Amino acid sequence: MAGHSLSTAVVGSYSMPAWLERAKNDFLRRRITAHDLEEMHDAAVKAAIKDQEVAGLDVVSDGELRRDNMIDYFATRLPGVEIDRGSKASYYDFYDSAVRNRMPMAPLGLVEHFRFLRRFTDRRTKVSVTGPHSLVKRIRNQYYPTEEAFAVEIARIMNLELRELVRAGAEQIQIDEPYYSGFPEDLPWGVRAINTLVDGVDARLSLHVCYGNRYGKPSWEGSYRYLFPAILEARISQITLEFARRGSEDLKLLKEFDAPFTLGLGVVDVKTHDVETPAVVAERIREALAILPPDRLSVNPDCGLLHLPREVAFAKLGAMVEGAQLVRRELGG
Amino acid sequence: MIIHLNYLPKAGETGAGDVLGALFALLDQGRLDPEMLPHLRLHLDWIQYKANFREPVTVRRAADARGERMALAELAVDLRRTSREHVVDDLASALASMGTAPSGSAAASSRAGSPDHGDRVVVDDWVPLGDSSIWQFNRLFWQRLADWERQSGRGFEAALPSGRSDANDPAAVADAVADFWTLLVELDKRGQLPAEIFALEIGVGSGTRANLWLDRFKAIDEARATGFYPRLRFLLADYSLPTLDRAMSAVAAHRDVVSMIATDALNPLRALSFLRYKILYVHLTNVYDNLPVDELVRRDGQLYLVETRAYVPGPLARTIATAHGIGTDQLRPTIARLLETGPDLFGDRERGVAFWRAVWDGLCLEERLRHLEGTADVPLPPGLHGDDLDELLANAPADIRFHISRGAVESFVNTVPLLHPRGYLQVQDIFVATMDEYRQGFRGPGKLDGSVVNWVNGALLRAVGARTGYDVHFAPFRYRPASRTSILYTTLRE
Repeated sequence: MAGHSLSTAVVGSYSMPAWLERAKNDFLRRRITAHDLEEMHDAAVKAAIKDQEVAGLDVVSDGELRRDNMIDYFATRLPGVEIDRGSKASYYDFYDSAVRNRMPMAPLGLVEHFRFLRRFTDRRTKVSVTGPHSLVKRIRNQYYPTEEAFAVEIARIMNLELRELVRAGAEQIQIDEPYYSGFPEDLPWGVRAINTLVDGVDARLSLHVCYGNRYGKPSWEGSYRYLFPAILEARISQITLEFARRGSEDLKLLKEFDAPFTLGLGVVDVKTHDVETPAVVAERIREALAILPPDRLSVNPDCGLLHLPREVAFAKLGAMVEGAQLVRRELGG
Repeated sequence: MIIHLNYLPKAGETGAGDVLGALFALLDQGRLDPEMLPHLRLHLDWIQYKANFREPVTVRRAADARGERMALAELAVDLRRTSREHVVDDLASALASMGTAPSGSAAASSRAGSPDHGDRVVVDDWVPLGDSSIWQFNRLFWQRLADWERQSGRGFEAALPSGRSDANDPAAVADAVADFWTLLVELDKRGQLPAEIFALEIGVGSGTRANLWLDRFKAIDEARATGFYPRLRFLLADYSLPTLDRAMSAVAAHRDVVSMIATDALNPLRALSFLRYKILYVHLTNVYDNLPVDELVRRDGQLYLVETRAYVPGPLARTIATAHGIGTDQLRPTIARLLETGPDLFGDRERGVAFWRAVWDGLCLEERLRHLEGTADVPLPPGLHGDDLDELLANAPADIRFHISRGAVESFVNTVPLLHPRGYLQVQDIFVATMDEYRQGFRGPGKLDGSVVNWVNGALLRAVGARTGYDVHFAPFRYRPASRTSILYTTLRE
């Protein structure tokens, strides 16, 4: 599916309210019930959707506010993953999790949360899932002979869930693979796992690769050059990359390797509280337009907005939308 | 009355029995109201620093949010500085200043901290400890270090309790360099070593440590032919330009790889934001213990913020005033001018420094305990969240007085964003690693020759570190026997 010209979206997560962090910790320490926490999740998700709509985004997500972190939301849902429930002190920590036997096939329950999102917005929607490569870097493998075999198994299970999401109406699904940047040598099998994951999934599929956003800071540094040419084998329609913090140097790689994807262009730095002006955002988009035509360009933050205070996240989204509008007007759109 | 006994005196020193005997004598003489006893706490603490801001017997009253006196009262006795002969008089005088009337009476409900607090010249208003003028004195010291040292006749490191700084221990420096060099090799192997290798020293002292570090790094690099030294960008950061100048002279042999930058240790990010996520190694020695700190007290489940008021005891105030040709009533404004303009205030720097040193020598802190409704009322430094404090308190002793090391926390959260994703922070300082250790005594503030020293709440830093993506560890400083220094180091939190 083709992208809409300079359409705007979040990468996935929205600002996590401090009160929700406290509630998640209270739940972890058995001070509140799962029902109470779920009610708070519902309220927080509705507020996140509303903020995205008011900021003027074309595509909205549920803000990923139900997730403890990008790993545990999936690790606790994947069949056959054993979780040590006492292994984390804070909700944001990773559980100690392991696979010790062959993983069975079973639904993950993502559809229910997608339907909640769908019920509260008329905008186009995006669902993000953590990719198999990132998951195998955090879930201990004590059964499969190789990391690749483990990743492909996870991809096979999650593929069914993605198909269910499409049946439920999901049009845009994003796969997050930040760990590629830490383990570039894994990329060939990482891409094979992606292709298993998206096999037969009839949606606009994007792949988000960044340099990490754990605790709101990068986990690695480097150049996206490591992605090429292996990434060209990925059966995705869009690649979503961070450029606001790191600069636009790597944009030329898309041209150099004649990448067939549309680009989700990171125009907002999520690792600083300084809010970009619309003019800065517009300039970043113009730089990308020198490489790709507008119908192959979407606009988004560098990564999730999870760690930013709500007022900063909201202001950044507003600036992003305004910056995109500036360029659209220049293009006569 | 509850007695907190944290110090067993040596033979010949005043003992707990002497203090109790003195209190009973005062009770018999009608100079101690028996109705006070249920709310009185007697603290016989180990006082970390012999030189500090307390008189041998200190009294602390609790006050509510409006400043009205509450029932809780504390008597703190420094057994090392109280003699058997004077303990009755010292206690009597302290109790008199506390007010011995029963709770609810007119005297008891008078405003805590009213001017009627004995023979002293008050220098401050009541403020949380972190806002006390002692921190202005501290800042003045580092800004006008050379003036102070010229008159004292010794360098600030010689004035430390151990007579030298653990920062400059050659074996410790060698180990620090080896760790760093190993990191560089690992990054290099993975092709992740940046072209420029940034290292940062915050709080440079005399520059001795930086020079030792650079000598060692260059030697290892040359011996192993790794070629890292020419790529090194070593930054000396300090808020005192004279100190930076002195340190730059010390590292003259490494001038090609060293730069200096005026930086507030509370917010290195402000001056160095262009290096966000780029610095592989940040080191500080004895900086955190010199940054502003607040103190919290929990008694009977209630939380209190320690408020202080700086003063100079009356006899000393009169001596200083006479020696400098001013009236005692002019002492407070003269001190304010000293803190604002520095020691040139009399038009004669030597005389100004003498005045400064005399005031510092005599400066004391009066304390009161401001009641807080809960942790939501605690003035938290940036980076510390209320639920972190709740968790710390949930696992702390029920009765506790501890530091909110707000300067250290602020510095920490404004430093770690400078770290490269594989970089680390190392801090040599005096840390209280667990809240339980606060049971064991009073950890400051202490008074060094011109500056303030304070133990740093490591448990707090551990909580703040976890929130910012770092595990914070403490290792004992094993290079000098009986050293109280620890080494804080960060590792990445997955």
